[in-house]
Amino acid sequence: MSPLALGIIVAVVTVVVLLSGAPVAFSLGFVAIVFLVIFDGLGALSVVPDIFYGGLDNFALLSIPMFILMGGAIASSRAGADLYEALDRWLTRVPGGLMASNIGACAIFAALSGSSPATCAAIGKMGIPEMRQRGYPAGLATGSIAAGGTLGILIPPSITMIVYGIATETSIGRLFIAGLLPGLMLTGLFIAWGLINARIQGHSFALGDRHFSWRERLEVLPKIGPFLLVIGGILWVLYGGVATPSEAAGVGAVFCILLVMVIYKLRKPRELWGVLRDSMRESVMILMIIAAAALFSYMMSSLFITQSLAEWIGGLDVNPWLLMLSINVFLLIAGFFLPPVAVILMTAPTLVPIVEAAGFDPIWFAVVLTINMEIGLITPPVGLNLYVINGIAPDVRLQTILWGALPFMFCMVLGIILLCLFPGIALWLPEVLMGPAL
Amino acid sequence: MDLFVQGVRRLSTLCGIAAVGLLLAAVLVVCQLVFVRYVLGTSAIWQHEFVTYALVAATFLGSPYVLLTRGHVNVDLLPHYLGPRGRLGLALLASGLSLAFCGIIGWTSISWWHEAYAKGWRGETVWAPRLWIPWAAMPLGIGLLCLQYLADIAALLTGRALPFGGGEAAR
Repeated sequence: MSPLALGIIVAVVTVVVLLSGAPVAFSLGFVAIVFLVIFDGLGALSVVPDIFYGGLDNFALLSIPMFILMGGAIASSRAGADLYEALDRWLTRVPGGLMASNIGACAIFAALSGSSPATCAAIGKMGIPEMRQRGYPAGLATGSIAAGGTLGILIPPSITMIVYGIATETSIGRLFIAGLLPGLMLTGLFIAWGLINARIQGHSFALGDRHFSWRERLEVLPKIGPFLLVIGGILWVLYGGVATPSEAAGVGAVFCILLVMVIYKLRKPRELWGVLRDSMRESVMILMIIAAAALFSYMMSSLFITQSLAEWIGGLDVNPWLLMLSINVFLLIAGFFLPPVAVILMTAPTLVPIVEAAGFDPIWFAVVLTINMEIGLITPPVGLNLYVINGIAPDVRLQTILWGALPFMFCMVLGIILLCLFPGIALWLPEVLMGPAL
Repeated sequence: MDLFVQGVRRLSTLCGIAAVGLLLAAVLVVCQLVFVRYVLGTSAIWQHEFVTYALVAATFLGSPYVLLTRGHVNVDLLPHYLGPRGRLGLALLASGLSLAFCGIIGWTSISWWHEAYAKGWRGETVWAPRLWIPWAAMPLGIGLLCLQYLADIAALLTGRALPFGGGEAAR
């Protein structure tokens, strides 16, 4: 059987096993072992433990639990509410400032927590009722927060980018910096659409009679400032090449836990245990997928599927942009069903050589891939953010949230198109700060 | 039956606590590493390895607890469209597939670990720790993961838990 035909069978079997509802990690591992045994015999099992363990035996992976812990500490406090309050006080006299406050708060909180659902919950709890009270349509109020939450996997520090960096041996610091401007661009597009949509639906943006004194505006900053300094410090350390991502994340996590204990008085052992336990759960879930994906990649490579696929696509002589479009449609469909980390681990090691051979930059591709994964977070059937919003605004129907989020999905597609037309949006900042890629 | 299911759940919870402890140890050692390297300006000897071993051990030992609390992410599209019997059948199939994978990994990792123990393998660094110590986390963690799967399947078959969450197992 040709490796290409085998590749198709592997893909079909993987989809079927995933649909059984077994955990993603064990599904990938199961498929890998079945195909290894069928084609290489039982002897292939002798290398399995080494590859499974080796998938995790990497110091760089430590940055994942460390960033999760950092985000978990921040998400467990009132930092999200304070951030929202701060932006609201500063932008209250700006027409449409409430929409900007909400999506801006989502973007900043997403960077702090690195988690899309945590962002939706933290900002949405305050933002959605406030927007509805001030006359914004329910669909727009909920849809904008669902979309704003997705920024967490693009704006640094991002777990998705770390996983891509490890899976494809790309500089994590460079990936982080590359996500910054596209993240701001998407934030701008979301705000713009929010304002246009509100205007279309007859919202007047009349400024209320609320007015905050300078004292009131300044008093909220000391609570938020230290967290922003920690994030700024991490980015500075990473782009300066001063420390590795794991070292920066470890120190960042300790700083954030201490800040939460001092500023928000999160000192009860039960609360701290909750943060540690939840961070452990999320980290273990991701790391088990990484270990299983190492086994899956080994099987794909051992049966020459990866190499044959790259060779076959290289020989097709198709237009590179058509190839990129096909890859994006494929990723989009995968993202509808699977979490971003799983999609990246399953596809990036195979796709990146193909993308590079077609003349695209792997750092640029990481940004496009991440925005693509963001779309999956606000589209059914997985669409995690939609369900989180549904949980915090139970009186708004899921269908209304979905329709409200749909235009923001088109903003993300527009973002991908802009990145294709102007790759510099992703590549300019890393080149300026870190020099050209080697 | 209750004794077995409850006993395994307790073991998995203990493993979860151990995994949190290992992650905490990793956080503290990374901070010590940063202090040694960037403040004292001396080179780190054991920290990188220790932290990596702690992370891997936390992953394997934490895995049964994550299964107990339904934290391993899955594609739960089909169960939404199935009736109670179909859901039970699918849940048993999913657990069976996962148990088969974990059983193979657990079984093969025992001989992999034993080889490191019997031949006295050590890490290829200045610290050179005995590899059987950190490597023990894999057969141990995956073995307990298999037990947790057996307990989950037993709970499903005896009606103590509902398929794909719900019931006692979801707590």
